[in-house]
Amino acid sequence: MSDIADRIKRVTAETLKVDLSRVTDSSRFVEDLGASSMESVELVAAFEEEFDIDMDEQAALGVKTVGDAVVFIERIVSV
Amino acid sequence: MSAYVSYRPLASAEVALLEQQGCRVESGDWSQVQVAEGFQAACVHATRFGGSVRIGALGGHTGGGEPQPAEIRNARLVDCTLGHQVRVVNVGVRLARYDIGDGASIEDVGTLETRDGAKFGNGVAVEVLNEGGGREVILFDQLSSQFAHLLCLHRYRPEVITALEQMARTAAHRAHVPRGRIGAGAQVRSVVEILDVHIGPAAVIRGAISLCNGSVLSCPESSTFVGPGVQAHDFIIAEGARVDGGAMLAKSFVGQGSRVGRQFSAEGTLFFANCEAFHGEACSVFAGPYTVTHHKGSLLIAGLFSFYNAGSGTNQSNHMYKLGPVHEGRLERGSKTGSFSYMMWPCRVGPFSVVLGKHTRTFDTSDFPFSHIEAMPDGRCSLIPGFNLTTVGTVRDGAKWPTRDRRLGAVKRDRLVFDVLSPYTVGRMLRGMDILQDFQQKTDRSVSAVAIQGAEVKRVFLRTGQKFYRRGALMYLADKIVQRLEAAIAAGETDLSRALRTPEGAVFCEQWVDVGGLIAPAQRLETVLAEVQRGEVADIPALEARWDQILQHYAGDEWAWIKWAYQRLTGVDVAQATSEQLRGVADQLLINRKEFLEAVLVDAVKEFDQLSAVGFGTDGQPEAAALDFAAVRGDYDGNKFVIQLRAEIEALTARVEQFKNHFVS
Repeated sequence: MSDIADRIKRVTAETLKVDLSRVTDSSRFVEDLGASSMESVELVAAFEEEFDIDMDEQAALGVKTVGDAVVFIERIVSV
Repeated sequence: MSAYVSYRPLASAEVALLEQQGCRVESGDWSQVQVAEGFQAACVHATRFGGSVRIGALGGHTGGGEPQPAEIRNARLVDCTLGHQVRVVNVGVRLARYDIGDGASIEDVGTLETRDGAKFGNGVAVEVLNEGGGREVILFDQLSSQFAHLLCLHRYRPEVITALEQMARTAAHRAHVPRGRIGAGAQVRSVVEILDVHIGPAAVIRGAISLCNGSVLSCPESSTFVGPGVQAHDFIIAEGARVDGGAMLAKSFVGQGSRVGRQFSAEGTLFFANCEAFHGEACSVFAGPYTVTHHKGSLLIAGLFSFYNAGSGTNQSNHMYKLGPVHEGRLERGSKTGSFSYMMWPCRVGPFSVVLGKHTRTFDTSDFPFSHIEAMPDGRCSLIPGFNLTTVGTVRDGAKWPTRDRRLGAVKRDRLVFDVLSPYTVGRMLRGMDILQDFQQKTDRSVSAVAIQGAEVKRVFLRTGQKFYRRGALMYLADKIVQRLEAAIAAGETDLSRALRTPEGAVFCEQWVDVGGLIAPAQRLETVLAEVQRGEVADIPALEARWDQILQHYAGDEWAWIKWAYQRLTGVDVAQATSEQLRGVADQLLINRKEFLEAVLVDAVKEFDQLSAVGFGTDGQPEAAALDFAAVRGDYDGNKFVIQLRAEIEALTARVEQFKNHFVS
């Protein structure tokens, strides 16, 4: 697992206040991890801070799973 | 009533006919009853006359609603003047000391009487906003939200308050007349008791239980309705309003186009234009324009609201069993409270914010408009600045208010600016950005949240909030600049720099205020206050004219502010901007407006996601649930609002391209 994936899972677990073991690549932020609208925005903000990046908010909020978030952020970080 | 009607004594044949038809005069002196040309004694039956009574033409039909035969039957009239074609039928106790306009109809009424010293609701002091007193607003027929705002909220200027109170008393005094008025075409039917109440032209009073010391203002273009079961005392109900459904009013004002009903009770409350209040209760509330509370169990108390929507069970408390009900709260325009939200006053909520949960601590988020405010489990306030800027609800609210203005008469007393984005709200965004930036700079990353004016803001939102506000501000400013240039281009203006100048008479002021729905530079308000204090504005018409002037200057003042704000935010003086910079403005409009609209679309998607379909279908079959959802809610792509927003994005792209073509280097 990449360093980016680990960091995303840690930030997700901390922000959504869920056990890290529950956060897998296939976990859906809303349906499986219980993210509310506000928590989704908080997650985007937390990822931006963690990776010191600016994300397209609409595209970011369209990301449904942790695995997709890894791909999404890896693409930005690699630029 | 017709002016200059001449009356004559009854002819002896007329007296004989009246007596034959069961009429009598209590004094025994028929000369006390006079009649006008067109009077028909055959239309008067079983009626007692007391004092001096004058009657107009009869035999035709009334003027209001469904025409009824103009006649007098089974009534007792005391000291009244009836206009032409009036119908008075079945007035059991008495109709006393009223002047009744042409075509009015009064039927099945117990008592309708003006007593000595009647004031018709004018002069009642309403303990608004602070239940403990100290902010009383005096009722008078011409009361506007702007006047009430000054009188209620500017108590720190006692000379101004004294002058305003004098103006209000003078205006109220004009309504203190010895005889009540029932206007032309008014209909009063099936009412138990009306005491000391003026009833305006074309008003309809039907089924009310008791109305005492009040005025029902009305006009043919904007008829007012007071309906079944209403009990009201010490009140004024303005043109086009509707009070029915067993509503109870005590020391209250119902503004033009407002609706109060379905057993709502209001005490010490002012509702201004187009409010809606059903089922619940209001106590000492300054309900500015478009305050809406629809649900049972909602209590609005000791608060200032406008363009507001209360969720069911909304509640506040204004005392802690110490010095009494002395606390108050303010929700600035456009705010909403969610179901069972509670706030312990004092609190202050910035414009266009949503409040959820049970707040048991004081907070002030006035520097953070468009925010999401949610109570944490311990009752403290958690704030997400700017989160509400891109919600579907905010966008829909902004579009619907102007289309729901029910004030149909020529006079609209409350001057309103409907704009969601304005120097008032965007100015708050700029201030909010500064505060968030300051906190961001001084807060270590190890800190999870900071406290700002009693609200907790998670550290990550310090940055996000700035982003939201910057986008909102740039979208507004760039749009206004482009709009101005587009208008100049369309008008064939060759020197576009002229369009960018500040118009003559415009006032620049960094701070803007919301005066009862009228948005204005603080300096303009200060000028009015100073004029009132010096006695230069000394009566209601003069003061109201000043509000009209302020409204007329809104666009110019707004432009002066936009130029300043754009330079503050981008460093570009738009008046000196190069073609390239103006193309840049258009790009800012495209980027920020598009991002904004896309964010709203993302918010709309949530209304159609899997979780929104929970509860659809009858037996848990996924296929049935999906079909049921589609049948009831439709789909995202077919949603009218979504289609509209997508079309706007498309049109925006074309608009910006077209604009930029005018500024090719």
